[in-house]
Amino acid sequence: MKKNILLLLLSVICFVSLAQPLTVKAQEQSPDNEFRVGLEASYAPFNWTQTSPDNGAVPIFGEEGSAYAGGYDVQIAKKIADGLGKKLVIVKVQWDGLVPALQSGTIDAVIAGMSPTEERREQIDFTDAYYESDLVVVTRKDSPFADARNLSDLSNAKITAQQSTFHYTVIDQIPDVQKEQAMKDFSAMRTSLASGVIDGYVSERPEGITATGANPDLTMVEFDEGEGFQTNPEDVQVAIGMRQGDPDLERINEIIATISEDERTELMDTAIKEQPAAVEEVPDGETAESDSDEGLLSDFRNILDEYGILFLRGTGLTLFIAVFSTIVGLLIGLLIGIFRSLPSAENPFSRFLQKLVHGLLTIYIEVFRGTPMIVQAMVIYYGTALAFGVSMNRTVAALLIVSINTGAYMSEIVRGGIFAVDKGQTEAAQAIGMTHGQTMIKVVLPQVMRNILPATGNEIIINIKDTAVLSVISVADLFFQGTTAAGTNYQYFQTFTIVGVIYLVLTISATQLLRLVERKMDGPSEYAMLDELNPEE
Amino acid sequence: MSATIEINHLKKNFGKNEVLKDISLSVTKGEVVTIIGSSGSGKSTLLRCINLLEKPTSGEIIYKGENVLKKGYSLPKYRKNLGMVFQSFNLFNNMNVLENCVTGQVTVLKRDREEAEKIAQENLQLVDMERYVNAKPNQLSGGQKQRVAIARALSMNPDVMLFDEPTSALDPEIVGEVLKTMKHLAETGLTMVIVTHEMGFAKEVSDRVIFMDKGVIAESGTPEEIFNHPKEERTKAFLSRVLN
Repeated sequence: MKKNILLLLLSVICFVSLAQPLTVKAQEQSPDNEFRVGLEASYAPFNWTQTSPDNGAVPIFGEEGSAYAGGYDVQIAKKIADGLGKKLVIVKVQWDGLVPALQSGTIDAVIAGMSPTEERREQIDFTDAYYESDLVVVTRKDSPFADARNLSDLSNAKITAQQSTFHYTVIDQIPDVQKEQAMKDFSAMRTSLASGVIDGYVSERPEGITATGANPDLTMVEFDEGEGFQTNPEDVQVAIGMRQGDPDLERINEIIATISEDERTELMDTAIKEQPAAVEEVPDGETAESDSDEGLLSDFRNILDEYGILFLRGTGLTLFIAVFSTIVGLLIGLLIGIFRSLPSAENPFSRFLQKLVHGLLTIYIEVFRGTPMIVQAMVIYYGTALAFGVSMNRTVAALLIVSINTGAYMSEIVRGGIFAVDKGQTEAAQAIGMTHGQTMIKVVLPQVMRNILPATGNEIIINIKDTAVLSVISVADLFFQGTTAAGTNYQYFQTFTIVGVIYLVLTISATQLLRLVERKMDGPSEYAMLDELNPEE
Repeated sequence: MSATIEINHLKKNFGKNEVLKDISLSVTKGEVVTIIGSSGSGKSTLLRCINLLEKPTSGEIIYKGENVLKKGYSLPKYRKNLGMVFQSFNLFNNMNVLENCVTGQVTVLKRDREEAEKIAQENLQLVDMERYVNAKPNQLSGGQKQRVAIARALSMNPDVMLFDEPTSALDPEIVGEVLKTMKHLAETGLTMVIVTHEMGFAKEVSDRVIFMDKGVIAESGTPEEIFNHPKEERTKAFLSRVLN
């Protein structure tokens, strides 16, 4: 009965807490002596990830010692942190997560090449611009659109831009354009462009220079004066996003004003020169065409040399989340399964409670089985931040999300496992005089465990793979590290082939390990006393 | 001799279906009672009601002077005094032969493991299964399983042993080995209630035979009375059906 009450309490707490008003308060921030800046760290030359602290790069929060953020944004962030007299902390957050992270107080500012659009202004405040840029279209050199000088030259071109940016809205200004689905980040657009899925994407000048520098097959369409996209000055400006009502806004504006136009250009030029892709792919005169199989192999080697440690950490985290969450999920499933198997109580009040908990458990299972984990991650991670003003540690959030998600599946699996145990087993235990609890622990559960082992193995494998979706809340798992590496080196195929192989090694090892456990559980197929066995055996 | 278990006016309904109608029966210490009757006559239900695997609808079951059906009576405490042998053996699939006989002693009777293992081995010897202590149930034949099930029940030192058609799920050639074991037990003076279709066995080992028909005890008496001089027409009809 104690368990029931505990479960009931837990459910009540969950519901009450969800019902609380969602409020955001500027004072609920990171430590006072820190200036926490959120950026993607994969939007060169504004920001990128590198594995060394060279060129004034700053360690990335949570990955100190293995990953550093560099770029224009980072240099600006340093100046502002200095001006505020605070310690700069760089937090890596995916693009879509930047505004929620700021609102929830996980970070103090967004310095991520973000334009201060009207829509965003409804959510957050912006400082004065710290950079201003032109819009360009990046295309392939061999494309018929490569020589475009004005918007009509791009008629019928398949154009896209980054999701949730004004780059995507201005596409409509091109006459007869084939507007493609918006994409998640620039790396994805570059890959699509290189593979011919799209004819071009809208970007800003610095990114265009970077892209064309990284891939010699690409070129950048720059429009003649007055022939380009009509833009709102606010859109081409890049400003720092701040929480609404943050008192530091004024001081930051003062600091920005002290950075002269010349200094900004110089910082940007340096950033473009220093960005990892430009450094890597400078083999003068050599073109991409000379790439042979050997080139591919050396690509793999280079990626492993440079990002091996990152991948290893990502792999560790992925495994940890998968194994931990499957175990916790299994425990949740067992608790729920046992609770559901309890005979209904005699006392009317206990029976009412029992029914209530049954109902809540059904809701839990339906909700978590019926919604994508990526959505659960968003709601739980940002939801708790909005509701309580506490920002969860991302790894803890990941463990929580995957655990309760797995728990929902496991409770159904356990139900099936209990169902599969012959009723005679329970009767025999009861006939001996065992209580319900003893029957469960000694007789039913060991058989349930054996019954559900294959399904549990499935869950581990699913979890190893599905932690990839947690990259939306910037959990630095294997997939996230893969994105980081690919976003910096643009070698999507090579990087993700390596990541894929690592996943495969993990899942195959897990499968083999589980087979071993299964065999161990079943015991030897023959028992001791062979010589005395009846021949009929 | 005093009654070990006394059943008064027991009734059991499954929904609207009246399976047991007003059964009264008492079992004396050391007595071997067999219950015979056609399928659906309620004999298995009666046996399952005795150890409360089925909850009787009304009536009373008196054990050691107390009605076990009254509110608050501890079911596990009562059941540990009754050994049950099922038609489908129901050995614990997750345990080997020895553990099947040990687990109840340790968890329910709180015997220490060493003593429990000794008792288990003695009982396995009694049913001639002592060489199979390490085997898992799915490695045994039906007859072997049923003999282990008997040893498991005996290991709890029950006051009464209940057998629910213990040979019905066995191949004809194996039935003999189980019956031999049970006959041996009957000779030791154990109190036994046996539901069976084995008329020859019932005739040989019983102190008393009960013939059930349509939820009531139609006739009861010594094997001699029931098998050789049945009074009731339905008893005669049943016997002529099964014996020919």
